[in-house]
Amino acid sequence: MTRRSPQNPEMIAGALKLLPARWAIAILVAAIAYVVLQPKLNQWFGWNLPSAAAMLGQEAPAAKSKQPPITKPDTAANTKLDTASSNKTAPPKPSNPKPAPQKPTLANGTDATSSKTSSGSKTSSNDSEDLKFRFLKPLGRDRYESPAGLIYTPGSEEGHRLKHIERHVSDQPNRPGSHGVFDGDMESFLTAIDDGYKRARGHAKGTKQREEEGMTVFEAPFDKPIGYLGGSEGARKGKPKLKRLRIVVRDKNLITAFPIQ
Amino acid sequence: MVLPYLIYVRTCPACGDGLCRVRVCTHQNKLAGCVVCDECESVWTDPAMSEKFTEGVDSYTASCPDCGRSLWEDTSHWADIQEVCLLGWYDKVKVART
Ligand SMILES: [Zn+2]
Ligand SMILES: [Zn+2]
Repeated sequence: MTRRSPQNPEMIAGALKLLPARWAIAILVAAIAYVVLQPKLNQWFGWNLPSAAAMLGQEAPAAKSKQPPITKPDTAANTKLDTASSNKTAPPKPSNPKPAPQKPTLANGTDATSSKTSSGSKTSSNDSEDLKFRFLKPLGRDRYESPAGLIYTPGSEEGHRLKHIERHVSDQPNRPGSHGVFDGDMESFLTAIDDGYKRARGHAKGTKQREEEGMTVFEAPFDKPIGYLGGSEGARKGKPKLKRLRIVVRDKNLITAFPIQ
Repeated sequence: MVLPYLIYVRTCPACGDGLCRVRVCTHQNKLAGCVVCDECESVWTDPAMSEKFTEGVDSYTASCPDCGRSLWEDTSHWADIQEVCLLGWYDKVKVART
């Protein structure tokens, strides 16, 4: 769409030529000052001054600057999480050593839930991540407790134990050796871990428990296959189904969990 | 940096699923190596894996046997082939393409 208005750049340049040199310089200085100060004034005072580009018809006027876009109203589930995950209003703190701006870590994803109105990056994939946290009780500082009392904390190479065990809901076919793959989503994986942990702690039939210098390794059988053997070893063996779950903890802190043979 | 290969010593004897890999800490510009399970985070001081290291900043974080700092801080990373050679461990590891 072509716009012919007094704001058109050529007309402004023409008008400047008709002015005395001093006036032209003064107007230019004022225009430059406006270009420089406009975003800052909007930021400091919450104003909505249009950018120079917008005034010249080259860009749509900015919406309320620096005001994060509001995504959508809270659902019942989100409201529940919001209440539980404290009354933070700011975006997640940068405690994660490897923040992923586009796809937050699980822990940050939860924090993002509690600050939904201040984050414009919520996507449907993040919504699916929220599902996992219906199961876990936030304890603050990115720590979560499962109904069976397992604690999921920041740590590991991935930044959070939840992110670490997420490696086991998909195969890594090029990985040397075996890689236990849970056949299901994270929410059902967390449920299975809790189930196995409770039974193994209670010394239920078929479970095992051993101490390993600083950690405890639990094993629990399941009636049906819960996953399959992945990695290069799994590929070589034709991905046999697995019906046992191994859970490694330090005190009550979950370190890792994966299906085994 | 993601390497196109993975250097490891063996499958983890502690958890049975992880790979015991060479990790280096460069805190204070010093190259310190250790072996860490990428699954259960057990730490050994060298590829012989006879001595497990369980101390450090806290008992829930894999820590450098040399300086005690977390092995997941920016000062640490999985060793590349040059670093494994510098540590004198090249003949004690396997290299797999990923
Ligand atoms: Zn291990
Ligand atoms: Zn160190």
